[in-house]
Amino acid sequence: MRNKIEISDLQVHYGDQSALNGISFDVQPNEILGIIGPAQSGKTTLLKVINRTLEFVPEATLNGTVKLDGVDISTIGDVYGLRRRIGMVLPLPVGLPLSIYDNVAFAPRAAGLRSKSQLDELVERCLQQAALWDEVKDRLNTLGTKLSGGQQQRLTIARALSHQPEVLCLDEFSIAIDPVTTMRIEEVLKTLQKEMTILLVTNLVQQAKRLATRTAFFLNGDLIEIDSTDVIFSDTPTQQATYDYVNGTFG
Amino acid sequence: MFTETPIDRRKRLTENVMRIFLLVVTSVMIIPLLLIIGYLLYKAIPVLSLEFLFSNPRDNMRAGGIWAPFLGTIYLVVVSLLVSAPIGVFAAVYLNEYARESWFTRITNLAVVNLAGVPSIVHALFGVGAFVLFAGLGESILAASLTLAIMTLPVIIASTTEALKAVPMPFREACWNLGATRWQTIRRIVIPNSISGILTGVILQVSRAAGETAPIMFTGAVFYKAIAEGNLFAYNITEQCMALSLHLFTISTQVPDVTEGTPHGTAVVLVGSVLLVNAAAIILRVYLRTRKKW
Repeated sequence: MRNKIEISDLQVHYGDQSALNGISFDVQPNEILGIIGPAQSGKTTLLKVINRTLEFVPEATLNGTVKLDGVDISTIGDVYGLRRRIGMVLPLPVGLPLSIYDNVAFAPRAAGLRSKSQLDELVERCLQQAALWDEVKDRLNTLGTKLSGGQQQRLTIARALSHQPEVLCLDEFSIAIDPVTTMRIEEVLKTLQKEMTILLVTNLVQQAKRLATRTAFFLNGDLIEIDSTDVIFSDTPTQQATYDYVNGTFG
Repeated sequence: MFTETPIDRRKRLTENVMRIFLLVVTSVMIIPLLLIIGYLLYKAIPVLSLEFLFSNPRDNMRAGGIWAPFLGTIYLVVVSLLVSAPIGVFAAVYLNEYARESWFTRITNLAVVNLAGVPSIVHALFGVGAFVLFAGLGESILAASLTLAIMTLPVIIASTTEALKAVPMPFREACWNLGATRWQTIRRIVIPNSISGILTGVILQVSRAAGETAPIMFTGAVFYKAIAEGNLFAYNITEQCMALSLHLFTISTQVPDVTEGTPHGTAVVLVGSVLLVNAAAIILRVYLRTRKKW
């Protein structure tokens, strides 16, 4: 099977500081790739490289290549089109200061979709996919920022789905929400896996164990190990550091 | 059982003394303001009337109304803000939303901060050189307004920048992640949520533009000019005009035997118009804040 994403010798520096020191790995289509590792290990930077929002960080420099469907993303002229192929969910839920409807319709509108009926249909579908529709269907015109934290996070997921991405990146999505909502979103992700590739950056190693097809362990800007989740969480991963981190005996 | 120790008592005493001290200081600040307005109103009441507002000065400015200077000030303020507000807001949007940290932005920001502190008489001399003479506009409403615009521009840039900075960064990042361009982000999210601050900053410059005398007296304001009474279009912007601030200076110091109360009436109209505009700004701000979205 053809790789969805191919990363080779990716290096990122913020000024003098190295954030990723030359990592290489592939992501398969329709897998959930769990990405675990302590803070400052380069996980968030990796996601910013993939949708090229690293370009908004003035002091960042990048070497190496990232290919999406075999195409080097740095050669893609329509960077906005690229970003729409990748859904991004950030750690803290950010409802845009717009109505719930307009939050979800934002990206399609930015891409030029104007038809009211198509937007209506898309908004409903995305909110349903994000398991939020039933709670908000009667108040789509209220502000997205007035929702509770867990609802806002599902709103950001609906928003990330609104531009029908091929790859969905989630960066510690459960950090600000309650366990029940987290479990609901995890169920959602299992369903979405049929339609897209998912990169799941998480601080909760158990979350990776529950969801991920394969898991990658990052440490201080290095990719220590990437293997099927069963191997990473077994008693015998290749690297001792992986075992230590997964079992909570790390440093 | 709780009993007050000497330390507690001293703390309580200090607390009360400070509260009273701060109250007194605040009152001292407010009293002159109230006295000024009260005194002006008291002196001006006999002359204040619609007739005063809508008729030209008469008898070598010893009597009559203030129509010509009143309309002149409106022209100067409106034309100068029509120039400085768009330029200032767009410049601030560029500096805050597009520009990366570079020597250009650093110099621009430095210029903005320093220009805001340049005395108005210096702006006046610049206006004479640049607009009246070099650009060949002559002494005119246009030249005076452009001089006022140069004076208000840095402050509008600064206040707009503050308003834009108040919109949280994560909103922008969320939009970029959704494939929105910078301009789409600015138009749909940043501007709608900073417009109250931007407008307040612009409106506060009305009072500055209306109150300044120095920048306009060499560039377009005259001591006396009769215009059609009651006609809002009585001035041509390529010609000179009267202005309230200069008129007030003239009849207070240059003209003998002015009718009692006329300078006070002029001052009341100037202060009153400015307060009215500022009040509008406050109401607008309160209204827009009730619709605050996060």
